[in-house]
Amino acid sequence: MKILVCITHVPDTTARIAFTDNNTRFDKTGVQYIIGPYDDYALARAVELKEQLGGSITALNVGGSETEPTIRKALAIGADDAVRVDAEPTDSFFVANQIAHVARDGHYDLILMGRESIDYNGGQVHGMVGELLGIPSVSPVMTLIVEGQKVKMTREIEGGKEFVEADMPLVAGCQEPIAEWKIPNMRGIMSARTKPLHVVAPVSDEQRTHVGSYELLPPKAGVKLVDPNDMAGLVNLLKNEAKVI
Amino acid sequence: MAYDYFNPGTLRFFLFDVHGADGLLAAGRYSHFDREAIGMLLDTLTDFSDRELYPYLREMDREPAYYRDGKIFVHPQFEKIFRMAGELGLIGASFDEEKGGMQLPSLVVNALYFIMEAANNHVTGYLGLTAGAANLILSFGNDELKKKYVPPMLSMEWGGTMCLTEPQAGSSLSDITTMAHPTESGHYLLRGQKVFISAGDHPYAENFVHLVLARLPDAPAGTKGISLFVVPKYRPDDTGRMEDNHVTVAGEFDKLGQRGYCTTHLVFGETGDCHGWLLGEAHQGLGYMFQLMNEARIATGRMGLGIASAAYYASLRYARERPQGRKLPTAGTKEIGAPQTPIVNHPDIRRMLLSQKAIVEGSLSLVLQTSYYVDKTRIATGTEKDNYELLLELLTPVVKTYPAEAGFQAVNQGLQILGGYGYMQDFELQQYLRDMRIISIYEGTTGIQSLDLLGRKMTMKNGAAFKALAREIQTVMEMAHGYDDLRVYAGQLGETLQATQQVLQTLLPHLLAGDQERYLADATVFMEMFGLLVVGWQWLKTGVTAKKGGSFEPDFYEAKLHTLKYFFHYELTKTTGLTAILLNREGLTLSSQPDYFD
Repeated sequence: MKILVCITHVPDTTARIAFTDNNTRFDKTGVQYIIGPYDDYALARAVELKEQLGGSITALNVGGSETEPTIRKALAIGADDAVRVDAEPTDSFFVANQIAHVARDGHYDLILMGRESIDYNGGQVHGMVGELLGIPSVSPVMTLIVEGQKVKMTREIEGGKEFVEADMPLVAGCQEPIAEWKIPNMRGIMSARTKPLHVVAPVSDEQRTHVGSYELLPPKAGVKLVDPNDMAGLVNLLKNEAKVI
Repeated sequence: MAYDYFNPGTLRFFLFDVHGADGLLAAGRYSHFDREAIGMLLDTLTDFSDRELYPYLREMDREPAYYRDGKIFVHPQFEKIFRMAGELGLIGASFDEEKGGMQLPSLVVNALYFIMEAANNHVTGYLGLTAGAANLILSFGNDELKKKYVPPMLSMEWGGTMCLTEPQAGSSLSDITTMAHPTESGHYLLRGQKVFISAGDHPYAENFVHLVLARLPDAPAGTKGISLFVVPKYRPDDTGRMEDNHVTVAGEFDKLGQRGYCTTHLVFGETGDCHGWLLGEAHQGLGYMFQLMNEARIATGRMGLGIASAAYYASLRYARERPQGRKLPTAGTKEIGAPQTPIVNHPDIRRMLLSQKAIVEGSLSLVLQTSYYVDKTRIATGTEKDNYELLLELLTPVVKTYPAEAGFQAVNQGLQILGGYGYMQDFELQQYLRDMRIISIYEGTTGIQSLDLLGRKMTMKNGAAFKALAREIQTVMEMAHGYDDLRVYAGQLGETLQATQQVLQTLLPHLLAGDQERYLADATVFMEMFGLLVVGWQWLKTGVTAKKGGSFEPDFYEAKLHTLKYFFHYELTKTTGLTAILLNREGLTLSSQPDYFD
């Protein structure tokens, strides 16, 4: 089985977020990057499937050369080779287009990725890739089992779960608990240095959306403590200051 | 940015910039790893620690290891931790590749363990003892022992221990009474009991491989009659079937700290035949065990460093968040109506934070420096190798002791920053204080380490080790002389070095006259002074590195230089008083009489 796992190169969840250029660009100064946590689960499930069924895993990232340490980590965790599309991931459609192009040539049985990235949280790429390739796309997938050519999945839906079946090839946007979280072992880290990492040019530079500006949430206001016996004071604050009643 | 238990940037600075990990990686023995791979290892261990270790630290204290019906039970998270540690390759991380290891530099391995220990100090003992026991079998065992016991230890399916202490023989190992009787089948029959056996039993290993010190019937008295045996909990036969080897778990000790890390009482051969296999030559056991003990001493200092680091970042976080009182005025009167200020703005809190930072980062540098010497002994040859071996021998008791003793003071300051809350179970500082207390006792108490330093290491080969260290210190002092604002500190360190030499010259005549008791009477005071000298050397080296700059923000280097100044002004100056104590000729500890203590 051939599996393509798409990974994002995103700021660490504890990174300090700031913007530059009049709030139009993310400030990357001093930011540590990681594999997107949802993509991490997709990769972990791919490794489990490979252990169970055999085959190969290719990791794919759309990004500049600065993403290569993140790609090497995917190789250390268990991908056999990797492809980096050498381009800034400008918007969801652009990224989906690059993935679809690589996937079309590679004839993959499964295309796994996180349900969304954790930087811009678009959550659209898996759907677009499915559409561009004309194959099913399912998200968010919590369990994924392969039986012959059929894939049985559990989706999270509002208030419950949905059980879905589809034939391969297909695209899945993954989330926990689809697999046990994996970390690279020392042999994996050593071997990642020599696994192939192919750099390819993007297929087009079409960008369909443009960011006007970014804005951070206002800082948390100070807390006002109200005496438990002062109900009138509490109502007054909620009504006239917080304006919530 | 708030760190929970260590600062990854600071670790990288000390690892790569101060101690030159890149240079080691360029050496043939370690060239299968590069900086990027080491970075990935550090990130991986941080992820592992964030997810699997740190969140369980408090639980492991509240739900400690316990004994019931002949078995020890530990926190269930250990099952996952041991499995992941085995998969990661942590047990054989520093072993040679031909022995199934990863052949990582000790410098890197100790950095990885430091991360884990800062996250959760109840965990790494299980891993380190298994690694140490496996390494002893690889070093001194025959092929059959290696083949049978080492592979499942590397995967953490089996645990390893070292069994030295007996109820009547703690620091004095020459008094052990556990016996090993030879049989015609080649194995020995063990009988005796051992106490304080760390990681001695738990449900998450299929078997345990105990390395037991015992005496043969014809053994000479004292430490020269001690042999080392491999004694499994279950005896594996050639088909893999396991048979009970009659190692009875008699109890679990209820401890002040490190309560998740089990400490057991084992009885050998009381319920039936307990088979053991001799490791290496008869009567050489203590010498073999010292290979493990020396590794364990570095590891114990590193564990103290980890706890002190975690306590520092916990108290720093609190100091930045806790508003209390108003800033003291710098001109005029105090503003009573002003909002309360975070306590980090009070000078006394900053003094305690600086003190912690100076001790924690000084200890980190010392642990890495010692690890660097371990690696150099493996790649150097001839007189260069001899030189590194001397330095390693000299620093081993110091790296065990300074992070333990100064680290305890650092954790105590961290607790003090929290005031009354620091004393409460709701905050982790009280746990760190309890966990930390054992570090100056494990693997030879501070008193024992001090006797080793002054009694053996300072005098061996006519003081060659101390001369080697003095050369290392001189080299750093010469580099520091190249920077205007470091020159004064290079001078101060030079004076401390001279004072140390003066103390030795004053004490050595007692030794030459055969009066070891007088020579060693204040060995612990000498250790305190020597520890400050050594850590002062590390801070000056850090300062020289910071002056060169690099990829960190300017504030990062400024903070390092500021902490260096703090260490020299507030810590190294203590050597003046210690020198006065050591030069005093009255010998008050010796002349005191037992009834003076009534």
